[in-house]
Amino acid sequence: MVLPGHVPWEPTVVTRPAADPREIEFGRLFEEFSAPIYNYVLRMVADGDRAADITQDTFIKAYRKLDTLTEATSTKSWLYRIATNTAIDDMRRRRMVSPMGDDSPAYANRPDHRPGPEAQVMAATLDERVQRALLRLRPNHRQCLLLSDLEDMSAHQIAEVMELSYAAVRTLLCRARGEMRRALAAEGFAR
Amino acid sequence: MTGPRVPHPEYEELISASLAGDLSDEERRRLDAHLDGCEACRGVLASFADGRRIVAGLRHLPVPRDLHARVRSGIESGRLAELPWWRRPAVIFAGIGGSLAAVAGALLALVILNGSPEPVGNATPTPMPTPTLAVSSTPSPTFASSVVPSPTPSAGTPSASPSEPAETPQPTPVPTAPEPDVYLGHTGPFDNRAGVVADGATGEGIIEDSTASGPPFAAELSPDGQWVAYLTRVGEKGTHQVRVTRVGEPSQADDPAAPEPIDSPIAVGQTVVLGESLSGDPFIEQLAWSAPSGRYLAFAMTNAESGDTDAWLFDASIGEAEQVTDTGNAYVGSWLPDGGGSSLLWLSVASERPTSYLQAFPDSAAEALTPIDPADDPIAMAEGVFQPLLNVSGRFAIYWDGAMERIGSEDGAVAGWRFVSGAEPYLAEHIWESEEVRFADERAIFRDLTVDRDGFTSASITWGPDGDTYAIWDARWTGTPQSGENEAPYPDEGRVYFSRATDARGMTRGQAIDAGDVPEDWYIADVKIAPTGEHLVITVARPLAGTLDAPEADLLLVERNFGDEADEVTVLRGEQDTNWWGPAAYDGR
Repeated sequence: MVLPGHVPWEPTVVTRPAADPREIEFGRLFEEFSAPIYNYVLRMVADGDRAADITQDTFIKAYRKLDTLTEATSTKSWLYRIATNTAIDDMRRRRMVSPMGDDSPAYANRPDHRPGPEAQVMAATLDERVQRALLRLRPNHRQCLLLSDLEDMSAHQIAEVMELSYAAVRTLLCRARGEMRRALAAEGFAR
Repeated sequence: MTGPRVPHPEYEELISASLAGDLSDEERRRLDAHLDGCEACRGVLASFADGRRIVAGLRHLPVPRDLHARVRSGIESGRLAELPWWRRPAVIFAGIGGSLAAVAGALLALVILNGSPEPVGNATPTPMPTPTLAVSSTPSPTFASSVVPSPTPSAGTPSASPSEPAETPQPTPVPTAPEPDVYLGHTGPFDNRAGVVADGATGEGIIEDSTASGPPFAAELSPDGQWVAYLTRVGEKGTHQVRVTRVGEPSQADDPAAPEPIDSPIAVGQTVVLGESLSGDPFIEQLAWSAPSGRYLAFAMTNAESGDTDAWLFDASIGEAEQVTDTGNAYVGSWLPDGGGSSLLWLSVASERPTSYLQAFPDSAAEALTPIDPADDPIAMAEGVFQPLLNVSGRFAIYWDGAMERIGSEDGAVAGWRFVSGAEPYLAEHIWESEEVRFADERAIFRDLTVDRDGFTSASITWGPDGDTYAIWDARWTGTPQSGENEAPYPDEGRVYFSRATDARGMTRGQAIDAGDVPEDWYIADVKIAPTGEHLVITVARPLAGTLDAPEADLLLVERNFGDEADEVTVLRGEQDTNWWGPAAYDGR
């Protein structure tokens, strides 16, 4: 299909409404955070379609609540809080996902632009094992660990996202690391 | 990675916090001092650090290509994707459709039903700014019967017009009844049947037309609620008439940005016959009102003698239709929701490689329309796009692509264009920005069909008022159905397939309505989706047994259920009363 953009738009024929600051702000949010939020949620639920749905809902809710975002609020924490709560709601409704099977995990079928089929197979295999280990964790441990290690958030930022105290996050993260260590060992990661 | 034992649990939390730099200076010094002398805790640190590295190294996957479009659609429709759509509460979010439904329903109530102050129909109460309803200054013509001959309706060459407001939709959950705003009928004694426009909620006839040529099988309400456009069969000739009936007065809008209401010389209750066309092709049956003005109805007609198909516009402001293309292979797509001073219409040209062209038609000054070649000086063009049908927001499009051929009718005459191989409907983002109009991220709608040399010849397609749901029926397939030995044929011409644009699964055989929803051996004449997004209003008709057989159709309300739960089917009108009931129409977006 040839996209029709090459025919010049006739400005005398069409008038467009002025750009809405809300739309601009939301566009910026989506541009910056859609991919990291999607990946964070994907690792939470281990299902590409569900992750897409949860990410979709996260941004719809964010759009509705955009007025509540103040300068004092960390945009990143605010958005991840919405995503986390949306994912938790989803998991509660589904009574948590079953651990990913050995064959054709939904997320593993997503496009991967890395070169080389062998590298992709190896990466997928490694990815699946880590994902299975993550799924062994309790949901709040998984969230905490992903926010720290995948999203590189500080304990203070995680506290904002999870609406916990700083001290509680440090305790939770420590327990999550211990749990993850055992889960990785069960997947054959030895040290 | 069973990891070392933790002989000093009091330091484990510090070790964990150290990985992200979350230690105070004092904590850092204390931990460092401890690690210097404790090999076991150094092991814990190494183990935790390995875990962190492994998680951080997880592959970063790209977001689904349609995510942005899904978010935009969700914002506009007020719907979330959290639950499977068929499990969500039956609410709509009053945006454009809701207010239009209110206008249309209230107009019907106030203008047509003898000025009764009681609202009827499916008027949706909504806190959205709603245009002030105008009470007719003329006597209300209950069962008014008046037909105005088409200004230039030569046989086989008829006439036609219109798009949607740019206001930001606000998600306002409003319970909505699934009944249509209006529906049509063809009723009375076998040898003296009349057309009727009935209120969708009460079933009361509000306009009668004694000159109706035959049973109606497609209908659309205009966005301002003033008009219903419809197609009626013409005996056994294999043709249909294109008609419009005025059902309401213009309203004065509270919103200063709302378009000027269209006034017309055609009185409420009058019907205009716009022309007659060769019938039987879903691509000719597209009736497209421009929005938000509702000034134009665009439609196509095929000349029964030459086989030429051209686009026509009915201009409500003058009550006449004019031919607007002269290439003999032009079909009507959709209007853009808001042309900002112009009405912008996608016209499609049938050829071996079909192409669509965006053309502008004036929204204000009364300029004469002259036939054009859609390819002449278009605002935009899209090769490989045929009959793009836009949703209510204009952000999604469903269109066809495939190889077309001009074919002959049974009597040897040329009878228009058909897809002959590799054709199927696609769902795409329709992007309309200041510098360009384009279709993006297209994907085949039927995910579990293999289209190569086999493919669709045609199908009928409709969007729901929520801009998300869509239905496909009368799907005609050129090859062998792709179903197992003991399975129902797929695709099935006798089923309705029902999904939503934001559903990542697309359309599959599992999304067909139950086989038992349509009476055995009857066929589907028309489908509309209710604003609830969960109900279909389906016109099912009984094939004629002979020339003396009276056409019969029932109007069904189907609530779609999945899994083992059967669909709920209610007969809105009909059920073996040997009258023809249907099709239905909603708010005329």
